[in-house]
Amino acid sequence: MSELQTLSADGLQVVPTISGDAVRIKMTGAVEMRDPGEVLTPFWNEVDDEARRLAVKRVEVDVRDLNFMNSSGILTLVRWITKAKSHAPHAYQIALQYDRNVTWQRTSIPTLAKLAPSLVIPTDINA
Amino acid sequence: MTMTTTVTNDYVEMRFGPRWTYISCVRKFVASFFMIGLADKERAEQISMAASELLENAVKYASEEDSYLKISIAKHLNEVDVCVKNKAEPHNVNTLRKELALIHAGDPEQVYLRKMQDAAMTEGQSRLGLIRILYEAGARLRLETKEDGEVAIHAIFPLEQV
Repeated sequence: MSELQTLSADGLQVVPTISGDAVRIKMTGAVEMRDPGEVLTPFWNEVDDEARRLAVKRVEVDVRDLNFMNSSGILTLVRWITKAKSHAPHAYQIALQYDRNVTWQRTSIPTLAKLAPSLVIPTDINA
Repeated sequence: MTMTTTVTNDYVEMRFGPRWTYISCVRKFVASFFMIGLADKERAEQISMAASELLENAVKYASEEDSYLKISIAKHLNEVDVCVKNKAEPHNVNTLRKELALIHAGDPEQVYLRKMQDAAMTEGQSRLGLIRILYEAGARLRLETKEDGEVAIHAIFPLEQV
């Protein structure tokens, strides 16, 4: 049974599901609040705890319906990736699914993957 | 919020109080405006991202006295200039100068990745907005300051010659 709850805040919805050996997270709306870390950092921490508790191999984050993310939102992903990286050699993989037709996604997501190339897999999935 | 459009095509200027909830509204407007003016979705989204990041900084670091900020975006022959002006305290101006020197001091991708790694290890603000504009959107950044504490930061986007 998933401990993860749907997150809704200021035009953003984040829906987690657990399926087989993966955690799937669908983000919709925009991350443009003043301090997204207030809501997203606790969420990513819970994802990290749950992924480790269930020993899943992969966490998939679908951002295709996220029309914008500000740099403070990007930082919450950086912090999560950094935390996940620290679990090596037992780290789960993070698949960031994006749409290259959305400019911020095409530039920010592959850059994030460069923080941990063996762990973070950017996947362009055209809508 | 007041808005002025001049007789010059592809120019817009807005002046408003430093209220966070206006930023999203301005970002969407700028994207739509330049989607029409440039007929280039990618450039329009880069310009609107830069406008949003500069406005976020201005709201965070504007001085409390005489509080307002102004954004103007002008298309010239070969470039688009996004300029955000606000009043700022001297220590915030110095921080901004140092920040610009830092992000211009190396390969933009390496600087961006290093700043991400540093930010992940510290609490507080991300300070990723300016390097994001430089690296992800390919803009040049320029700072102007006045003795009265007014700060103007420009993000300048080259346009391809047709």
